Amino acid sequence: MKTFEEKWTAWLDDQLSGKELAEFEASLPDKAAAEAEKRDAQKLGALLKEELGAQVMSNEEFFSHQLRERIGRETASQDRYGERSTWWTVRRLAWSGAASLAVFVICAVFVLRDKNPGEQSQYLTQILNARVDPAISPNATISMFETKEDKVTVLWVEGLQSLPADYAAK
Amino acid sequence: METEATLAQVDVSDLELVKQCQASQTEAFDELVARYRTRIFAMIYNMVHNEQDAWDLAQESFVKAWKSIKRFRRDSSFYTWMYRIVMNVTIDWLRKKQIKGAGSEFDDSIQLKEIDPASKTVPKEDPLPHERMERNEIRAKIDNAIGQLSPEHRAVILMKEIEDMQYHEIAETLGCSIGTVMSRLFYARKKLQKLLRDVYENI
Repeated sequence: MKTFEEKWTAWLDDQLSGKELAEFEASLPDKAAAEAEKRDAQKLGALLKEELGAQVMSNEEFFSHQLRERIGRETASQDRYGERSTWWTVRRLAWSGAASLAVFVICAVFVLRDKNPGEQSQYLTQILNARVDPAISPNATISMFETKEDKVTVLWVEGLQSLPADYAAK
Repeated sequence: METEATLAQVDVSDLELVKQCQASQTEAFDELVARYRTRIFAMIYNMVHNEQDAWDLAQESFVKAWKSIKRFRRDSSFYTWMYRIVMNVTIDWLRKKQIKGAGSEFDDSIQLKEIDPASKTVPKEDPLPHERMERNEIRAKIDNAIGQLSPEHRAVILMKEIEDMQYHEIAETLGCSIGTVMSRLFYARKKLQKLLRDVYENI
């Protein structure tokens, strides 16, 4: 016991003995007042016991009968619910699985669709075409770029030994 | 049949009956109900002060006990375990009622005065009218004073003063420490002494 309240309660209920009792009683500033309060608490206890302890239940047998019926009803409904809840769990699992799959597919489509524009946007230019005739110019590369923002197309030719006839400007 | 079963159960301990309940024997539970229904009803009645509510809460407590009796490990007495359920149910109900603020808590005072003279709650020898009136007045004062305590303080003082339960039993029932029980008793007694001094000093 640590607090004064705990010690006081134990003292009122005659739960203190020996050294604890002596120490507590020595710590009381006014023992006569404390004794008077103890008598008050005992009177209060007696009053409560006399007035509230006499409460009797009427129709005890009806109470038990009603309880038996209620337990019977609740047990039966619980059993029914148990059967239904197993089926519900299976259905819920199936629906949850299908829904998860659908969400996954939708997300995957969005991610894949967004992937190419993402790459395009990383660069301002794009290689649209590259072709060469190895018989005419074995080391040549021809690339065509399009600048997205400026809407300009650039043809980049490198390593040509001679300009092909069909590339000649008319 | 039921009488025979009840007679046969007279000397059986609570824990033996609990074992039988755990084997789904409803007759054993009937016997436990018969043993404790009056005390439990009285305890709840003293907490809520309404006969119908006390009846319903006692029923609810026993239904909960039946549903969870298979989980009862028998490491405490059935009575303490049952009281824990009763207190949880009743304190929850009182808290909800306080939150809702549904009028005066003790609306049963009129019912007490109009109680059926033939019911078992009235002593066989009827008191004189003025004695009955005086007694009703005292009861109303006590009810009013208890109504001013919190549900937890109410539970502690009733278990101690009416049921003569030990601190550790109350602590186990309410799921708190012995120190908390003693502290709650201290404050509950102080408040009741203040509110009921004129009653117990004039008896």
